Amino acid sequence: MSAIHLQNLVKKFGDFTALKTMDLEIADGEFMALLGPSGCGKSTTMNMIAGMEEPTSGKILFGERDMAGMPMGRRGVGFVFQNYAIFTHMTVRQNLAYGPKMRGAAKAEIDRRVGAIAEMLQLSPLLDRKADRLSVNILQRVAIGRSAIMEPAIFLLDEPLSNVDAAFRAVMRTELKQLQRQFRQTMVYVTHDQLEAMTMADRIAVMDHGVLQQVGTPLEVYNNPVNVFVARFIGAPGMNLLKGKPAESDRGLVVDLGPLGVTPPLPDELASAVRAARGDVLYGFRPEQVALTERGLSMPVSFVERIGARTIVHLGQGESAVKAVFENDIGLSVGQTAVVAPPASSVRVFDAATGLAVKAG
Amino acid sequence: MADIIFRNVTKRYGATLAVDDASFTVNDNEFFCFFGPPLSGKSTILRLVLGLEVPDQGEILIGGKPVNAVSPAERNVAMVFQNLALFPHMSARDNVRFPLVERKVAEAEIEKRLADVAAKLHIGHILHKPPAQLSGGERQRVAIARALVRDPAAYLMDDPISALDARLREETRVELKRIQRELGKTLIYVTHDQEEAMSVADRMAILENGRIRQIGAPAEIYDRPASAYVARMLGSPMMNILPSVRSADGLEAAEGAIRIADAKAPAGAIEIGLRPEDLKVRPWTDNEMTDGSKGRPARVFEVEPLGGYTVVTIEAGQARVRALLRGQPDIRPDAMVAISCEPGRVHYFGQDGGAL
Amino acid sequence: MSAVTATIAEDKMDARTKPATPNEGARLGFRLTLPAQILVLFISAFPLLMQLYISVTDWSPLSGVGWWNAWEMWNSFANYTDLAADTRFWSALQRTAIVMLVCVPAEFLLGLALATLFADDFPGKRIFYSILLMPMMVVPAVAGYMFFMLFQSGGPVNDILSRIVGTPVTIAWLSDPNLALIAVMIADIWQWTPLMFLILLAGLVGVPEDQMKAATLLGANAWQRFTTIVLPKMKTIIIIALAIRVIENFKIFDTLYIMTGGGPGVATETISVYIYKVTTQDLIWGYVAAIALAILIVLSIVAVYAMKRMAKSRELPA
Repeated sequence: MSAIHLQNLVKKFGDFTALKTMDLEIADGEFMALLGPSGCGKSTTMNMIAGMEEPTSGKILFGERDMAGMPMGRRGVGFVFQNYAIFTHMTVRQNLAYGPKMRGAAKAEIDRRVGAIAEMLQLSPLLDRKADRLSVNILQRVAIGRSAIMEPAIFLLDEPLSNVDAAFRAVMRTELKQLQRQFRQTMVYVTHDQLEAMTMADRIAVMDHGVLQQVGTPLEVYNNPVNVFVARFIGAPGMNLLKGKPAESDRGLVVDLGPLGVTPPLPDELASAVRAARGDVLYGFRPEQVALTERGLSMPVSFVERIGARTIVHLGQGESAVKAVFENDIGLSVGQTAVVAPPASSVRVFDAATGLAVKAG
Repeated sequence: MADIIFRNVTKRYGATLAVDDASFTVNDNEFFCFFGPPLSGKSTILRLVLGLEVPDQGEILIGGKPVNAVSPAERNVAMVFQNLALFPHMSARDNVRFPLVERKVAEAEIEKRLADVAAKLHIGHILHKPPAQLSGGERQRVAIARALVRDPAAYLMDDPISALDARLREETRVELKRIQRELGKTLIYVTHDQEEAMSVADRMAILENGRIRQIGAPAEIYDRPASAYVARMLGSPMMNILPSVRSADGLEAAEGAIRIADAKAPAGAIEIGLRPEDLKVRPWTDNEMTDGSKGRPARVFEVEPLGGYTVVTIEAGQARVRALLRGQPDIRPDAMVAISCEPGRVHYFGQDGGAL
Repeated sequence: MSAVTATIAEDKMDARTKPATPNEGARLGFRLTLPAQILVLFISAFPLLMQLYISVTDWSPLSGVGWWNAWEMWNSFANYTDLAADTRFWSALQRTAIVMLVCVPAEFLLGLALATLFADDFPGKRIFYSILLMPMMVVPAVAGYMFFMLFQSGGPVNDILSRIVGTPVTIAWLSDPNLALIAVMIADIWQWTPLMFLILLAGLVGVPEDQMKAATLLGANAWQRFTTIVLPKMKTIIIIALAIRVIENFKIFDTLYIMTGGGPGVATETISVYIYKVTTQDLIWGYVAAIALAILIVLSIVAVYAMKRMAKSRELPA
């Protein structure tokens, strides 16, 4: 089994820096998600772990072993590509058997292992089908099986569910988690879908433009985002952020939200830090924590999305747009005015200039 | 008037039945969504509306006129393809102008429509670039602009945003809805993402293997699914569907782990459906469930924290049941819990899977 | 599990072929290409029928009647029976087969080796590429002359060999019945390896890179990747390349004729040379028509096989 340690990892392609000094520790047996929008460097990081790219500088360690110069065929990692890279000229069985066959395993041994993996991934009835005629859902299972059969200590998955239809994604997420639990491999999973990361990962590494923003458990990054990017990226929808000026009042430190005409109080523990910073702040709160109140932000409803179990209400426009998630019986329609406010404990404050979260003390 | 009507339309490809006796009406100015798993006939229906395919049986009417024999070019319906099909050798501006230039529309009119559409889709600043230099989201909007600029009777979109990042999809679907409202045109939209469908559609149709299983507003289909199949199609996590039996005071499922008092199952009901958000989960206190009846505890198998919600998977009897709880309740794996549900929120299904 | 049965059902539907285009489009296409179809038919079918006609007669241009009256000289398949007994014909055929069995595999292996070299970038790649393609650009007759000069007893080939071996080498390439065929084969290989190279390079480049990466990650070394991924994926292109060369090489003429004239004696007389001689020297065109038709049938079988393979490949994605 293997822990992965990325030290000061940098990757440049000519003038373009895809990854800027990444430091990350992935524990043995951990399910780590690399989460971020397209172009944030997550796939580049993964390719370097696999050995498909060499870092411009920095080190990659599997346990104690430095992987510099180790060719990708010898790193003992399993890799699932975004578009599966299934050998389309072979049958499912031949695909699954490929790894062991290349390593010279005996036929009986290969058959046994193929049978076991096929059973686990429900591919047994399809073993003798040619791989070019199968649906994407099945191809994905074959891709996973082909790597899993090698029982690698480290399993890398590059957005494996992005080509799979939405309903099947939920099924596959459960299966992947079960697979990881069963084999207790170290799993690194690249995705741009925060829901996927939250559902599956033990910890999430949020990245943007080649820089690691925050590493933490799903609840940690949700409850205490270190900056504006993480606050907006995590959560469906992301955190509401309203610009305002801190001001003194008889209620203590408040934030003046300008055109919105309200001055909600800032949490006490952050008061001294906000005063010290002296600049404008971003007043943040999560849409799921908003409630209808008598006093608070008064805004017109601009859009209502009823999505199954919940209703997302869009309030206001442009810079001062706010989203709120309610139960389906909320009964709000476009044009009405709603008064909403977040509970004090859920308010998060960010420095408007740096984007960093304001921390207590 | 640009309503689109299908009457008993059937389409076969060789031995496969792609569309099976489909009948529906898409009203003028409606945002209508076709939703279903892959290969359920959604794309075939689009092709039939467009005219790329001709039905084997049945009639298609656009604006009240039968169009079975009318060629795609004459039907005045515009489509945005899944792979966008932007011309790589032209700038975005020329791509968007293309349909109008082809139809020899006056230059002044072209410029006006171009400006109009570019403003609506926020692409004015990138029109000079070729598609290769645009991001996925920008290309998406250029492709949509190209369809919008023709001012056709109806627009068709086949899964136009599935290739975008999750975040961008959430924002773009709101944009698409706004654009459709502003333009006031009929839009037929195909997707396999149920959240997307529910968000944008005025009405939607659920498909299974070429057959239409239910048509209605998303909220209606969600609250009153016509069958177990439809019930499973919408809602994430999926509705829990379990066999149930009558108990002394109501209903029981999962070997007593789920008890619903005062529930009256209609005749013929063999299964019940419980939406994850309707399940009430409380820690098990010996001997008693919170509503006073006796029951059996169930073990929590898994807890998935999503931040604003938490999905709890519970082993109830032989089955696994999922509950969607608000916020971040303190529930741990292997804890023992009691599961209940309000009787009014229970869905009943009969032998054939139909709702009762 | 419902998820699995759903996916297996989808999988069955995946196997359907693409839907046919609307009938209207197909009819219009037929009508538009009709002039071209008629032209091609005329060019290919008419000579064929003419050949068939003449091949069952004793006609020759010196017989005094126009070819349309050749029926007067009907010889009821005597040409074909003569053909079966014609030992010169059979040995020409045999020689042609030998040439083909040596040249085509040699061109294939050399072309494949070069293509794998060119799959990756290296300094000066563009220049080497142009140099490599040059032999193909040379007019075959000119190539014939070139090799005629090269293979002279006192010519450059022997000169180079002398320097390598140390002692003077005076191999009589073109006048030794045993060696002339080898010289001719060398000329052919030189001229047509670039074609194989081009076709195989195209096939090689079409091998999906991510499948190669996946294979490497699963532990396959370069040779294993070559045999398990590259060659299978190139199967169709390889068959097409081989079919093209087999058919063309069978008809080898220009270069060979200028180098040796079919000699010494009949040492390098391939089937094309034989036909040429019979046509121009013996002037028995009826007989020639019979020979040509027999060869056509053999080569057609090769062509049909290749076409079947190509049609099959269009259904298979990479």
